[in-house]
This record gives sequence, C-alpha cells and structure tokens, in this order.
Amino acid sequence: MASAVAAVVPGQAGAAITRSSVRYLRPPGALEEQNFLARCINCGQCGEVCPNRCIKYFGFGNGLASADTPYIKPREKACILCMKCGDVCPTGAIKPIRREITAILDGVKMGHAIVDEDLCLSFQGKSCGVCYRACPLPDIAITVGFMEQPHVTDKCIGCGSCERSCIQMPQAIRIVSNHG
Amino acid sequence: MVEHSVQQRFVWRRHFNKLRWVTLCLIMSLLILLPLLHIYQSFVAAHAYNLLANSEKRLYDVMETITQPFITDPAKDLDAVKGTTWSMTLWGLRLSDPLAVLGQSAAGLTMHWPFVWTALLPVIMTAVFGRFFCGWICPATLIYELNSNFAAWLRWAGIKTGNWKLDVRVKYGVLALGLAGTAVSGSMIVSVIYPPAIVGREIYYAVALGGFGAGTVFLLSTLLFDLLVARRGFCRFLCPGGALYSMIGRYRLLRVRREVTICNDCAKCNAICEFNLDPMHDGFGQECNNCTACMAICPTDALDFMFRPTDRKVQGPGHLSRHFRHGKDEDEKPPPFHDEAA
Repeated sequence: MASAVAAVVPGQAGAAITRSSVRYLRPPGALEEQNFLARCINCGQCGEVCPNRCIKYFGFGNGLASADTPYIKPREKACILCMKCGDVCPTGAIKPIRREITAILDGVKMGHAIVDEDLCLSFQGKSCGVCYRACPLPDIAITVGFMEQPHVTDKCIGCGSCERSCIQMPQAIRIVSNHG
Repeated sequence: MVEHSVQQRFVWRRHFNKLRWVTLCLIMSLLILLPLLHIYQSFVAAHAYNLLANSEKRLYDVMETITQPFITDPAKDLDAVKGTTWSMTLWGLRLSDPLAVLGQSAAGLTMHWPFVWTALLPVIMTAVFGRFFCGWICPATLIYELNSNFAAWLRWAGIKTGNWKLDVRVKYGVLALGLAGTAVSGSMIVSVIYPPAIVGREIYYAVALGGFGAGTVFLLSTLLFDLLVARRGFCRFLCPGGALYSMIGRYRLLRVRREVTICNDCAKCNAICEFNLDPMHDGFGQECNNCTACMAICPTDALDFMFRPTDRKVQGPGHLSRHFRHGKDEDEKPPPFHDEAA
C-alpha cells in the first residue's frame, strides 16, 4: 500500500519501483537517483560516446522509471573515468567533470568498494593485490598492507575497476552503489 | 501532320518528394552508422587491432576508410556527431526534440535552461515549417511510409487494410497523458511511446548492444495499428510528438496552396496524402507536414508553396474540372471530343 501511495506522489515513483535485486551503478558524475531519473531523457548519447562500452541501458528490468536509462555493471565492464559521458549529456543528468584527480574526487560518487575478507585471497594468505593495481586512484582510494591486503579509504569513488579485475569468483571486492 | 514539340519545364516542386525520401534515408543511415562508428571508436581506444576477431577487423577497416577523409585523429575527432533525432550533438551544436524538453521539464517540474535552449532551433523551424519533422526527418516516418506502401500491396492483393477514422484530436490527449505520466513518475515516460526516439534508440541497442529492446515491440504494434486500423494511424491520431508539432506549427508560415485556376479536381492529391488531408478542397490545417507528395503527383502543377500563416479559404471546384467548365447539368454526359467540336 505504501508503495502504491508513493507511486502517485510526483518524483517518488522511481523509488517505489527501483528494485533492490538489481545492483548497478550510474555513469560517473550522475546526479542522485531521483534527480537523475527526472533529468535523463534516454537519448543514449552517454553510451554512444563511451570508448570503453561499459554504459548499457535498462529495459523494463529495473522498473518503468528506469527504462532506457544508462547503467554500469562493474563486474561485466567497469568505468575507466574518461568523463566523456558528462561532456556529452545534454541535460546535465550526468554532470560534466574535468578529467583531473581533484575534480574526479570531488564530483564522482558512483558508489563505494567493500572487501569481503573471507573471500579475499590476500586475507587467506595468498598475496594478490590485483584490485590495488587495477585502481585508477591507487594509495588514494585503496591502500594495501601486509600481504597486499586491500583497505578501501573513504575517497573511493566506486568506478568498479577493482571489482572488474578481482580474480576471485565470486568477487571478493565489490561496489555498493550510492542509490542503494 | 503537325509535329508538336512539347517544352518540358523543370518544375522543382515535382521533385521535393524525392528529395524528402533521400533525406529520410540519409537520417536512417546516419542512425545506423553512428552505432557502428561507436564500436569502431571503442576498438580505436583499445589500441588492440591484433586482438580483434575477423568480423571486428572488417568493421574496423570499413569504418576507417569511411571516416578517414573527415578526421585527422580518430581518438578525438570521432566524437563530433553523437545521438539520435531525439537529442543530438553536431560539432558542439546541441539539438533536442521539443518533446524531450517538454517531457524533461515535466519530469523534473522545473526548467533546466541549458537544455531548454537546445530545442530553440527546432521550435523556430516548426513555427515556420509546421510538422516538417514528421515528414522530412522522423526516422519512424520512413518505416511508416514503407509500411503504408506495403498496405497498398496488400490491398492490391485483395487483402483489406484498416480504414477507420478516429478524431485527430486524440493525439493531444495522448500528449497530455504522456506528460502527466512523466510528471507523476518523475522519469521520461513520454519517450517510451514516441516512435522517433524509440527508433533511434533501438537501432543503437541492436547494433552496439547486441539486441533490440522493448521499444521494438511497441514500434511493431504501431505498424500493426497502421495496417489494421488506419493508414498512418499512429502519426495522425496518437503520436504525442505529432500533437506537439501540430500545435507549434498551427500558424506556420510555409504552407501548400492550391491554385484553383489550374486545378482539375482529379483528387490524386487526396488519394496520395498519407495524412488523409483534403488538398483538393484546400483542406490542409495544422496536420499537414509539408511532405509535398501532393505536389509531386499533381498532373497540372496546381499545388505550390505559399508564405501565409493561415490556409486559404475554400475556393470551390478547380477551373479545369468538368464540373466547373460545363456546369452541373452536363456533368453526367461525357464532354464532346475536340474533333466533333471542330
């Protein structure tokens, strides 16, 4: 009933029909989820400009409000932070951000990486460190300690390169997106 | 025996319709080429030609050949043209469908001005040329017109196609409903029921992302609607974008006019008109999209453009028609042959 009420309140329906079972990221620089859905016009230019082809589009799998909006599944293909999607976005649903470390650290908040120490090889006595090597912001977003055990700092922007590169199956490090 | 040498003038307006088909085909090929270009770009960015499969290498080579005359650095210059007719970036110039702007404003319940300006040029063009987008640019129009040609083949083969008449004002209701749904849900619902946006998107999905999406089902159902319910029924009765363009172009400056003195009331214009308008009785209205099919088929070149914000008043029967020349009583009898008269 609560969700039915939410569905008729302007701007709230997206929250009502976004399913938590679908774990995805929005492109780098995307606005917070409700504002993003209100801004995005489903033009597809972000995906068309992405040189990495990591931006894909929802069908009706994530609810009607999310139909034809861009998403990134980092385990399939992670964002390389080229920042072209923000430049091409006509509505500002994805903010334009300069391709510099400070601007990216300030502006991009796709999610946050978490490590499962029960799965991570480095915590099991087999020195790995692949996630650290894959990270575009090494020693800023992720640091390694004894046996190359990864420690994610709060500067992590959630691009997903670590999750993409993790050699464990299932992955021992994954991005939890900001929109839940 | 007298030899008649007939001087054939080249009349431009007979050929605008062909030009329109060329334009539609160009837009469609652009929509197919851009996703291919995108795939090529991703290959360029990966710097790994040797790792490509044979089919990918073929695509790489073909796209390299096509783009080479226009660019110097494939890593940078290929981003110049992106998007679809829904919203497009052309060498830094951003153009958007007015419906995209209206829908986005409804979804956010605010105006986002940098985006609103991208629809300025299309709105001005529509105010001058009317529904020209529907006839000359819309990628769905190409599919719909081919579909209505297909319907003509079906009729020729003896299969009945739909010929229902709905109220053309239904589409304004669809527009209002689409915008209301967009405002309530807070996301662009209106782009899910708008064929040009769907066509551009679905071609991109099919070429670059490996398969058609849900929009294709909707598009196919509109094609069936056109076959079973009415010729070009979706465009005429249901399209929300068509409704918006009809309203913006209500007092469009460029219109088709009928020159009554050389019209012979043959009604070919009424038969050819995809939107089932009534050019033979000066009935164009805000639905006319200046597609010029009527001009192309007119045997006496009685249809021409004019600059005027309203249609002409109904001018009555054409002066070359039998009805006009002989009056009502003689209309039943065949007119006398020239030889008999002489």
